[in-house]
Amino acid sequence: MNAIETINLNVYYGEKHVIKNITMNIPKNVVFTIMGPSGCGKSTLLRSFNRLLELNETARITGDIKLFGESIFDMDPRELRKRVGMVFQQPNPFPHLSIYDNVAIGPKLNRLVESKEELDKLVEWALKKAALWDEVKDRLNDPATKLSGGQQQRLCIARALAIKPEVLLLDEPTSALDPVSTAKIESLLIELKKSYTIVLVTHNMQQAARVGDYTAFILDGELIEVGETSQIFENPRDRRTEEYITGRFG
Amino acid sequence: MPREVLDRIIEDIRNDVLKLSDVTKKAVYFSIEALKEKNVEKADMVYRLEEESDLLNLDIENKILSAAARYHPVAGDLRFFHAMMKVSSNYERICDLAQKIAEFVKKSAEKPLIKPLIDIPKMRDIIIEMIEQNEYAIKNHTTEPTNSLQNMDDKIDMLYEQIFNELVGIMVKDPKTVPDAIDLLFVARYLERIGDIVAKSGARIVYMIEGRRVWIK
Repeated sequence: MNAIETINLNVYYGEKHVIKNITMNIPKNVVFTIMGPSGCGKSTLLRSFNRLLELNETARITGDIKLFGESIFDMDPRELRKRVGMVFQQPNPFPHLSIYDNVAIGPKLNRLVESKEELDKLVEWALKKAALWDEVKDRLNDPATKLSGGQQQRLCIARALAIKPEVLLLDEPTSALDPVSTAKIESLLIELKKSYTIVLVTHNMQQAARVGDYTAFILDGELIEVGETSQIFENPRDRRTEEYITGRFG
Repeated sequence: MPREVLDRIIEDIRNDVLKLSDVTKKAVYFSIEALKEKNVEKADMVYRLEEESDLLNLDIENKILSAAARYHPVAGDLRFFHAMMKVSSNYERICDLAQKIAEFVKKSAEKPLIKPLIDIPKMRDIIIEMIEQNEYAIKNHTTEPTNSLQNMDDKIDMLYEQIFNELVGIMVKDPKTVPDAIDLLFVARYLERIGDIVAKSGARIVYMIEGRRVWIK
């Protein structure tokens, strides 16, 4: 079964048609990258997967999106967002909270734990999964803002994981990071796909080539091509994909 | 990516490979001319061409590695770099084999040939035509000329069989001819091998242009 399926998905912002009839499948336990030039609709597509688009009053969606076979539009949005976590371009830890509390707040608000001991265990688990535990275990009460940009982004991943999602959406998660922090996040994604399905929006083509198992190319709201990443980067079938990835436009 | 910079590098590498292709044709041509005439000067020319092919191949390899490191080629660019690297090293290998033929000439320059050369120059001419087909494909980005490579390579194989049988007959009749006949047998074997290498290079060029794997031989 696929983790996510979109069926004739269309998204409009007012009169503007931004996602055009996209039908595609995202298999589970893979890193699925979505690439395309700025403004092509890739972030909009990502935000449709956890119904974040609905917070925009002008947004209108037609078609269907299924999460493990079940329409997300039949789900409670808050329940959906527990199953589909999200990490944004700029690391956005809660600045007034400690490292520990940044991770703990989700499970607390969602009543995922019943005791302090259970919460401690969950925080440690999430920080370990996000490959951050060794760097912060002795300063869990420090403000999150004391961490470097790369550490803050991994903290945001830990925060998302603490809710125990099935799918993790990442919108340009390394665009504000230096190459070493980027490498850490990329190797983390490869590790995380064993347990989660990762959907990564990036306009860094090398990143898509490095970490993606599958890659979709979106242009002007249309799905131009989707396939195994090696095929897309070695022998794309569509001329527009070839022109984009070889730098002839975009 | 500065696309126009990469385009210039691609053009530069394409020209270098075409230059190497020209050197390769000359090396094959003169190796057999040197053999036909037992001409040491022509054999020396093959040695110089072989050195030139080494340098060109190294230069092409360096340019490709540098471009790969700096521009991360993908899709058609990636296939171009991959194919040109293979073709370049294949052609350098062909020049090595041509030099081996020239070595026989230098070793036995004083001795006449045990038989006039008829089929060996025919093999050489087909090889040169095959290299020209590949050149045309690289220059014009078309796979059409590579369609005939398989047939041409088959012809080379048939000529090799013919030469083999003929030389075995000569050796059986007159055992004194064995050392020289074996040299000629090696020459024919090298040419047969060169035919294979040119055909395989053609398959790489097809992949470069169309992204389609074909098997020639």
